[in-house]
Amino acid sequence: MSLNKCLEIFLKYWPSFLLGIKTTLFVSLIGTIIGLLIGLLVGGLRAINVDDNSSKLKKFLKKIFNLISTLYIEIFRGTPMMVQAVFIYYLVYTNIIPWDKVVAAIFVISINTGAYMSEIVRSGIQAVDVGQKEASRALGVSNIDTMLHVILPQAIKNAFPAIGNEFIVNIKDSSVLMIISITELMFQSNSIAGTTYRFSETYFVTACIYLLMTSIASFILHKIEKSLSHTTTSLPQSDTNFSSISLAKEENS
Amino acid sequence: MSIIEIKDVKKNFHNLEVLKGVSFNVEKGEVVSIIGPSGGGKSTLLRCLNCLETYDSGSIKVIGEDLKEIKDMNSFRQKVGMVFQQFNLFANMNVLNNCIFAQTKALKRNKDEAKKIALENLQKVGMEKFINAYPNTLSGGQKQRVAIARAISMNPEILLFDEPTSALDPEMVEEVLNVIRSLVNKGLTMIIVSHEIDFVRDISDKIIFMDDGIVAESGSPKEIFTNPKNERTKVFLRKVIRN
Ligand SMILES: Nc1ncnc2c1ncn2[C@@H]1O[C@H](COP(=O)(O)OP(=O)(O)OP(=O)(O)O)[C@@H](O)[C@H]1O
Ligand SMILES: [Mg+2]
Repeated sequence: MSLNKCLEIFLKYWPSFLLGIKTTLFVSLIGTIIGLLIGLLVGGLRAINVDDNSSKLKKFLKKIFNLISTLYIEIFRGTPMMVQAVFIYYLVYTNIIPWDKVVAAIFVISINTGAYMSEIVRSGIQAVDVGQKEASRALGVSNIDTMLHVILPQAIKNAFPAIGNEFIVNIKDSSVLMIISITELMFQSNSIAGTTYRFSETYFVTACIYLLMTSIASFILHKIEKSLSHTTTSLPQSDTNFSSISLAKEENS
Repeated sequence: MSIIEIKDVKKNFHNLEVLKGVSFNVEKGEVVSIIGPSGGGKSTLLRCLNCLETYDSGSIKVIGEDLKEIKDMNSFRQKVGMVFQQFNLFANMNVLNNCIFAQTKALKRNKDEAKKIALENLQKVGMEKFINAYPNTLSGGQKQRVAIARAISMNPEILLFDEPTSALDPEMVEEVLNVIRSLVNKGLTMIIVSHEIDFVRDISDKIIFMDDGIVAESGSPKEIFTNPKNERTKVFLRKVIRN
């Protein structure tokens, strides 16, 4: 493998790579955002507690919802996204409607991400100290306002590193969507390698581009995370020791 | 009609009987303090009064409403404020917004009016200089004063305090007690669970001594502190006063 050859391939085929980058970023960004919305809905509902005082109907609905959402989460986390992509794409294509590949790709990456996000959001919500929820209820604020204005903002902030990580993962893992031939970076690289017959050089360029994208994304996410924790902290009281330990570590390194 | 009527209230947590038939009344504008050893059910009873906790039998009427038959829970709770041992300020809001949030969301006051009321009350508790501060930057005493301002900004008819100074460093207890003292004589009915014996003797119209799920003794501060009749009250008072 020669670096010169890599550069040559990049210079010659950069428009193809660029299209790949665009598609990859587009699919993974939209997929992460829709996945987060799914996660907020599913994880938010999963975090609702029913206790002895709840009505029978509420308990019943909660049970049904838990069952369905657990199935959803386990199935999508327990099977490869590549398999999900081909299965769902062809299932819909042949049985329902011949849909656009990019739409299919966004659909698959969204529900796949949603499965992970649901658990991230649920644990983020459960990490918010219950005292604040009680205080809000005691003030006569409705459950929905309490959720939207007290719990979720803190849950999202708590979970922000994990949420951001899903975006990074999606940048990389959207490569499996080449299986349904959308023009994301991996698919483009395959075509380029197929024309040049320079496999190691082409994929070296591809790897560099992925690394660059994930590095930039993680840099930006880090900035956002910092600005979130600048003015406030939502760690429950019992966690303050933990946060000072991790601070001390950062200072040492 | 009393503003709070508690009749033979019982409550179990699974197998543990926490309230074993509690009865007493509170009149409008009264300051009633509940004292007693740990685990006696004081917090549980207090939390029943604004429906954070439910009870199994007996009856509680608050401001004329039977708690088992409340239709609009949120508007009921707006009339019964609560101050918690752990402050429970909203960590994602600054001091001012902590005091505005429920006014606009629950009472539907407009933002300007809510802000004006919040500022007035923050001034009352001496926290007007900290309106932009976030809870995590405040001391315990400051947090509790904000929590009190937040509660009174709702103009409640009843204010419940569950050990408002127990989580504070000793040097901050007095500043919070002074704020609570300043609320007396405003027609506000207050129920205070506290271990600050001198404070409750000073401030209360009535003392309820709770032990092991029952009201073991109740009466004026004078009756309870100078001439307790119940053996358990005597034991308890000897302990806390020695400390
Ligand atoms: N949610 C709960 N589930 C199970 N048991 C509980 C719960 N809350 C309180 N208890 C138990 O009920 C009993 C009474 O508790 P409560 O908090 O009302 O006492 P207290 O008089 O406020 O005591 P303290 O002075 O320690 O605050 C205790 O034994 C406690 O362990
Ligand atoms: Mg208690």
